[in-house]
Amino acid sequence: MKKILLTLLITLELFAAPSVGDKAVSFTLPSLYNLQQKTSMQSLKGKVVLLNLWASWCNGCQEEMPKFVALQKEFSKAKFQIVLSSIDSDPSNAINFLQDVDPSKRLTALYDAKKKLPKAYKCLGMPSSFLISKEGKILKVYVGSLDDAQIKELKKNLVKLIGK
Amino acid sequence: MKSLLLLTSLLFLSACSEHLVRVMPYEKEFFAQDKMSLSPIGERAEQEGHIFLIREASAGGESSFQGGCGCR
Repeated sequence: MKKILLTLLITLELFAAPSVGDKAVSFTLPSLYNLQQKTSMQSLKGKVVLLNLWASWCNGCQEEMPKFVALQKEFSKAKFQIVLSSIDSDPSNAINFLQDVDPSKRLTALYDAKKKLPKAYKCLGMPSSFLISKEGKILKVYVGSLDDAQIKELKKNLVKLIGK
Repeated sequence: MKSLLLLTSLLFLSACSEHLVRVMPYEKEFFAQDKMSLSPIGERAEQEGHIFLIREASAGGESSFQGGCGCR
């Protein structure tokens, strides 16, 4: 009986979604603007990353995007990078939306055609964001769009993590 | 042997429940389209409600506390 319970626990652990303290899911995804140009989680090591899983059809994602642009403006991209991973079936929808919100392409926009990241993170809602440390560990999970209070708290955390 | 069978069936059943019943949030692209809404054009919804009231002689039913019988 103990063996069955142990096996069951291990199985459940294997199927559990990555949470705070776990290693961030590694990925290699093409840029939304240039599918030949790839970005990997490995290449972002040494930076604090806010990974945002979004889609142009999701209202919450549209709402929070201007806040992300303002946030990236505030912090140096060398230390903190906002990485967007679009799961639109047609990437042109995501590109059109971002052209209005982020014309200077401050945010790193990637394209996840096969929805690998939301599947790996077992997303409970759209959008979902993950604050990832320099070492590649998940520091915080945000389900749904970030409101002003959460952005304020995130800024405080960022100042602690990377300084101003 | 029994435990292995139990474990396999549990895994199989959980896999079915995940993939066949639940539509995951990242799979709702087509549900988010305007044409999937009951009243795709917001401005027209009121007019449609008025026409429905005349045609069916009933009002309400849009919310959880109205029965659609016109009695409230």
